[in-house]
Amino acid sequence: MDSTALIETENLTKIYSTGKVEVVALKDVSLSVSEGKFLGVTGPSGSGKSTLMNLLGGLDTPSSGKIKVEARPISELNKEELALYRRFQVGMIFQSFNIVSSYTALENVAFPLLFAGVPKKQREHRAKEVLEKVGLYPRRDHRPAELSGGEQQRVAIARALINRPKILLADEPTGNLDSQTSSQIVQTLAELNRNQGLTVIMISHEESLLRQFAHDVVHLRDGEVIEQENIR
Amino acid sequence: MRLRDYIEQSFSNLWKKKLRTSLTTCGVVIGIGALVSMMSFGEGVQKNVTDTFRELELFNYVGVFPDAESAPGESPEENQPDEREVAQRRILNDEFLEEVMKMEGVEAAFPELRFPAQIKFKDKDEFGLIQVLPAQVRQFGLVKLRAGDFYTSDEENSLIISDSMLRRMDVKEPETAIGEEIELHTLTVDSALFNPASLASVLQGEKLPFAQESYTFTIVGVAERTGFGGPMPIRSDVMIPPGAAENMKKLLLTSLWDFFESSEQNEGYSAVGLRLSAPRYIEPVKAKMEEWGFKTFALVDQLTEIKRAFLFMDMFLFAVGMIGIVVATLGIINTMVMSILERYKEIGIMKAIGASDGDVKKIFFFECEVIGFLGGVFGLALGWSVSMIINQIANSILAGQGAPFTDYFSFPWWLCLGAIAFSMLVSLAAGIYPAIRAARVDPVVALRHD
Repeated sequence: MDSTALIETENLTKIYSTGKVEVVALKDVSLSVSEGKFLGVTGPSGSGKSTLMNLLGGLDTPSSGKIKVEARPISELNKEELALYRRFQVGMIFQSFNIVSSYTALENVAFPLLFAGVPKKQREHRAKEVLEKVGLYPRRDHRPAELSGGEQQRVAIARALINRPKILLADEPTGNLDSQTSSQIVQTLAELNRNQGLTVIMISHEESLLRQFAHDVVHLRDGEVIEQENIR
Repeated sequence: MRLRDYIEQSFSNLWKKKLRTSLTTCGVVIGIGALVSMMSFGEGVQKNVTDTFRELELFNYVGVFPDAESAPGESPEENQPDEREVAQRRILNDEFLEEVMKMEGVEAAFPELRFPAQIKFKDKDEFGLIQVLPAQVRQFGLVKLRAGDFYTSDEENSLIISDSMLRRMDVKEPETAIGEEIELHTLTVDSALFNPASLASVLQGEKLPFAQESYTFTIVGVAERTGFGGPMPIRSDVMIPPGAAENMKKLLLTSLWDFFESSEQNEGYSAVGLRLSAPRYIEPVKAKMEEWGFKTFALVDQLTEIKRAFLFMDMFLFAVGMIGIVVATLGIINTMVMSILERYKEIGIMKAIGASDGDVKKIFFFECEVIGFLGGVFGLALGWSVSMIINQIANSILAGQGAPFTDYFSFPWWLCLGAIAFSMLVSLAAGIYPAIRAARVDPVVALRHD
């Protein structure tokens, strides 16, 4: 194992059992991501991409194997500790944006600070700062229904960054966007990676997009790593 | 998460579903309102009874009666020396009154003399119970007057009449009766009738063979309440001074008066009322009276019984009131479960951005508490308003029958605070299942949910 790695997985396996049928979603995945890297993960549907993302994001627990983040075994944390891990160490964005439809852009971005116990004034102040960064400050009082897909995803990115995590996990962030907007979003992620040292792991079935921006690309099939390539 | 954030968050979440929130809260309001009315009625009844007792100082009253079973020479206990028994035996006569007045804590001692008579006022005729009461009794506040004043001497030919009797005489304004003349037709009856058990049947108006003579008195006062906790729950309709009563005896009621006060060979007064300065004297005075060979009666002894009866009444009223609360609780559970289903994805998002299971639980608990708090406050207001309306209606009906204005409902501070606290407690209990369910939402599934 790489001692300088920010994220490491070791024989990561996830088996879903629905009644008598067992489905192996992920099998013996061992990866290592150094700090400041942009890792792309690609593969066909059902290859285990999202499962890998949920495990890395602390939303799910592995059936076997280990995940270490900054040498801390994430896979052994209890529920409470996992909540803190999700709150402060990783930010996640999703294909369907997953922002609260009844909240304004500002409220959505400030939402994670609520659970961190930050007072209201500071929450708003910090949310405005981050919205500025993703270029959505003028749209801060709009609700998701009044924002375009690209804008909604930017709100989600701002929300993921509000607690200043080291890692950003993006699960098909461009899946619901047209190609031009997709490119802009990935560009934004690449800039955050380049300018702020944010470690980005992005899942996409659009290999070309990953090749354009990622340092490394991992290919998954049937829950296993079939290829790891270094692009730049 | 901060306390203030929880509260703000709850209000804003509930506000998004105004109609549903207000309907659910209405359920709680009605439930708490009903419970509050029920409880305040129970409290009101209790307060009225104990206040009346206290106002008339009935707890300071001891009734003394001759004990028929311990007549001289019949020692109940074999080993007791006869001399002592005889030496200590007293008769309820004027000497007894004088002696008992010297005892510590005894404020007043007066014979409890009552006899039936026909009362004639203007064209009306009623059968009633006359009580002989010394003028000095007035200073002990045993009689609460509605109009007029107490008679000033024991020799006056004046009397005090109860307002309920006046009403039976069709007199609506008690003040108008003051100074008017009233006739009492005394009865000569078999002296055997003058025991507590038969008096009641006499009062029920059963025809009995009697001869009558009439006396004229002047009404000086109208009594609202009298504080005599005698052995019988019979209310005296007219009070007359002893001098006047004795005059009546000279003319006609010799046998009656003899019955009460033939001191030589008989038993003296049939009963004596003792007024004590404080309840703490009740036990020593009672012990002394029993030592002297009398039977005693004190309302304090009845107090435990009365309290038990009130407790049962409270429990019954509470049980009836709880029906509404149970229904309201189901309403809260229903609303919260619905809310979880609607906010399934939102719960997933909260977890993904770092909310712990505890945070999610608390968010739902706080929403229940907001409903409970609002339900409690408005329920209290509703219960109070309904009680006030019922009180007004009841009083206006009863005023026609001459009853004084009474608050039939009581709202002590603990009932008001308790109603809100109880509402919040019940809402918290209603939130347990929904909150656990919300906390169990799997974020992976919820985030895929549309």
